[in-house]
Amino acid sequence: MRLGIMSFAHVHADGFLQILRKLQDVEFVGFSDTDKEQGKFFAELYGVPWFSSHEELLDQKLEGVVICSENANHLADVKLAAAAGVHILCEKPIATTLEDGLAIKEEIDKAGIKFMTAFPMRFDPSIVALKEMIERGDLGKIYAINGINHSEIPRRHRSWFADKKLAGGGAVMDHTVHLLDLYRWLLDSEASDLYAEVANPFTPDAEIDTAGLVTLSFANGVFASIDCSWSRPEAVYPRWGHLKMEVIGEQGAIAVDAFNQYLNYYSKQNSRQANWLGWGSDSSTAMVQEFINSIKEDRDPSIGWKDGFEALKVALACYDAAKAKQVVKL
Amino acid sequence: MKVGIIGAGTMGNAHAKGWQKSGAEFVGVSAKNKESAKQLAETYGIKAYDNHQDLLEAVDIIDLCVPSDLHKDMVLEAARAKKHIICEKPIALTLEDAEAMIAACNKAGVRLFIAMVVRFFPQYRAAKAAIDAGQLGELGVIRLKRIGYQPLGDEAWFTDDKRSGGMIVDLMLHDLDYARSIAGEVKRVYAKSIRSTVNDAPGDYALITLGFESGAMALIEGGWAYPPGFFRTGIDIAGSEGLIEWQSDDSQTIKPFLKPQERTKVARVGIPSSSIAEDPYVTEIKHAYEAIRDNKPFLVSPEDGLEALRLALAAKESLKTGQVVFLGGN
Repeated sequence: MRLGIMSFAHVHADGFLQILRKLQDVEFVGFSDTDKEQGKFFAELYGVPWFSSHEELLDQKLEGVVICSENANHLADVKLAAAAGVHILCEKPIATTLEDGLAIKEEIDKAGIKFMTAFPMRFDPSIVALKEMIERGDLGKIYAINGINHSEIPRRHRSWFADKKLAGGGAVMDHTVHLLDLYRWLLDSEASDLYAEVANPFTPDAEIDTAGLVTLSFANGVFASIDCSWSRPEAVYPRWGHLKMEVIGEQGAIAVDAFNQYLNYYSKQNSRQANWLGWGSDSSTAMVQEFINSIKEDRDPSIGWKDGFEALKVALACYDAAKAKQVVKL
Repeated sequence: MKVGIIGAGTMGNAHAKGWQKSGAEFVGVSAKNKESAKQLAETYGIKAYDNHQDLLEAVDIIDLCVPSDLHKDMVLEAARAKKHIICEKPIALTLEDAEAMIAACNKAGVRLFIAMVVRFFPQYRAAKAAIDAGQLGELGVIRLKRIGYQPLGDEAWFTDDKRSGGMIVDLMLHDLDYARSIAGEVKRVYAKSIRSTVNDAPGDYALITLGFESGAMALIEGGWAYPPGFFRTGIDIAGSEGLIEWQSDDSQTIKPFLKPQERTKVARVGIPSSSIAEDPYVTEIKHAYEAIRDNKPFLVSPEDGLEALRLALAAKESLKTGQVVFLGGN
């Protein structure tokens, strides 16, 4: 299956490239990037073909692309891919506005292509195990979830993450969506209202939110919180951050620390004084495989447009609640 | 100075250990449960008084380890008797009662110490010291965790809202107070909670979001939500210059791996255990005694106790209205 990557703007582009090169049934065609410097740099770094326009990449008889552009550019890239009839795996959040999100839906429906939102944590073994335990009834009725997806600010890797126009927002935009998607999936219920505190205490030089605490209610009565903050000290913390949650239910609690499989690693050659070297499972590979399988089997991918859109809706509502200092209904 | 304890439950026993090591003259105990009083008296070689009035007459300092709904009347009685007072937290169940107690002690010229023991836990003190020294810069996101299990047996009064104020007033008060002690006054409070209605199911769980005047935010997590025997606490404080992380899971210095014996006995009310040289309850009692003896200020003032109660009650108000509660005139 011929696959490519549209844009190398996202920090996850590197990871997708490695996965696409590694997967047996994939022919990795290359990536497109209109930023010549960025394109050349990564083409040389990884020794892969680079196309200076997206159209050129889409001309290569592709079956699917991974869209790794800046959040605000997703719609434009979706339009191009849809026009070429190429299936899409799109980075999260799927857009920066509801209008763009809805426009994406129109494009993919019109073109009849598949659209998968990149939520890799649904494929993480600890999360899958949690889902199984919940479904088996180990916890009884679920009461609440306390989730953490805090990290360092990602701007050292790609500066646009701290650019409100391109990213659509900071920590809230970047991190609320992952846990929200997992909550929707685990609970099989939609968020009904939320309140959020949002601020920028960590990097005053960046004009963007770096801290957020969100409390959500779900239609089934469960309440949950999301800490989406970029609160780990930049360039000092031993790793990018964490994804953790504790699910409280009738029979007790289950705690998940999805990235708890690491080595403490120290080297005089590293910039950080301490490093956590992860050795856990790679959930992104499983996600890409699901994208490929959905194309092969001509079915909807397990995570679709709606999942991406609902997550975007919640992320945007966090900003509304924080501004109004009020609970916002969804 | 002569000291007596009223109440011989979990806290009465924890405090007794402190008095024994304080240098004060520990003379007696009185409790509604005569058997418990007798046991405590035997353990410490002191007198068990049949009624608390006689004990009150015999001492300079009275330590009130009675259910929270009795705090007000007993503090007023002790103040009338011109005795210095140690009173378990929460200070009272209403702000009016707390104010009346503080006023009565001021008028009588006696000291009132509210036993907010978390302030005396070494990890919490060390974190506060680093923050006070400016090592974290401006505080951004504070996460505090405290989950134990539903109090059992004789201590089941804790689960009676009318007697204890409920889980938020009794348990989460600690972290509300600690958050305020490091981040200052609170402007906004939003809370969600659940109380199990299922027999034998773990009881209560709540998430409280605080917005501080400084711009910092906090997520306070509390519960009597684990099966009997489990108690977990945690600190995660992120500032513009640094981060402090601590979890009770990580800092056990001794872990037994023994052949299972008969069912391990579980304490009736869970309090955090710590393998450190001095029990924080002892540190607390020694501090209170020395401050009274030498006429020095307490580490935690009655007004701190009152403000912590104000936060807990604001959280309960938020639960009732489903809205954000504003403090201090917005």
